Amino acid sequence: MTEIAFPNELALSSGPIAAVELALFAASSGDHNPLHLDADVARAAGFDRPVVHGMLTMACVARLFTREFGAGCIRSLETRFTGAAMRGDTLQISASRVGVEDGVARYDLRAHTAAGVELVTGHASIAAPFMPRRPTA
Amino acid sequence: MIDRSRIGFRTVPTTVRVDAWRVKLFCQAIGETDPVYFDEAVARAAGHPACPLPPTFLKAIEGEHFSSAAMLDLLAVPLRGVLHAEQAFRHIAPAYVGDPVEVSRTISDIFDKKNGALTFVVVDTDYRVEARPVASSRQTILIRNAAAA
Repeated sequence: MTEIAFPNELALSSGPIAAVELALFAASSGDHNPLHLDADVARAAGFDRPVVHGMLTMACVARLFTREFGAGCIRSLETRFTGAAMRGDTLQISASRVGVEDGVARYDLRAHTAAGVELVTGHASIAAPFMPRRPTA
Repeated sequence: MIDRSRIGFRTVPTTVRVDAWRVKLFCQAIGETDPVYFDEAVARAAGHPACPLPPTFLKAIEGEHFSSAAMLDLLAVPLRGVLHAEQAFRHIAPAYVGDPVEVSRTISDIFDKKNGALTFVVVDTDYRVEARPVASSRQTILIRNAAAA
């Protein structure tokens, strides 16, 4: 089995998160909280614009790793939601390798908006993608 | 004051079948363009038995089982003033589109910070396919008691 190269640094920028992405995420995730969809509800809660689902941001964080290492590479992913992205923001996600042990790389990660608002901090453990499941006889 | 006796509450497991169409919408929402997640032919050519699930997708099917909103309702917490503070996943084995995923959720902890101004509820979720664990997750919900009052 070949050793995986784990880069020291990884980065991913999303496109601007538009209303359509928020609506698609609400539909596919089942999180229909109007805070993410309705500008009036968002304003009443103290936000200028609808708030991007934290789980949408986390899905993009996961994509940073799967894009690099393939589907099934994530062994663990932990995020703390420290700030809110809003409709129209881009997500800038970065990760730094902090160690490799027994073929598992540990990364510290962070996401922020283009304006520098921190959204997420966390950690990930990454390894060779899972072997595909074989049918059980 | 949230009822601490709910610590240890565990839902009765139910099975949610993962729908291809839903995974495709999820990919569109998150800017995932790798067809391995939504084109079965591509997935099979890559050696998968079906399209693998994006790593955080399992959270999306919890609502079909017992949503976090239902969990807060059980605790008599109004959704106003509630924030998703932390989320973690542990992946044990691959899970695929079409899998019947057995989901069960447990209230693992309820604790206060800042002299009761903040209450945290920790919900652990187990996901199994054909009686074998594929993943687990931990959601930490923050309740700002002043905002909820």
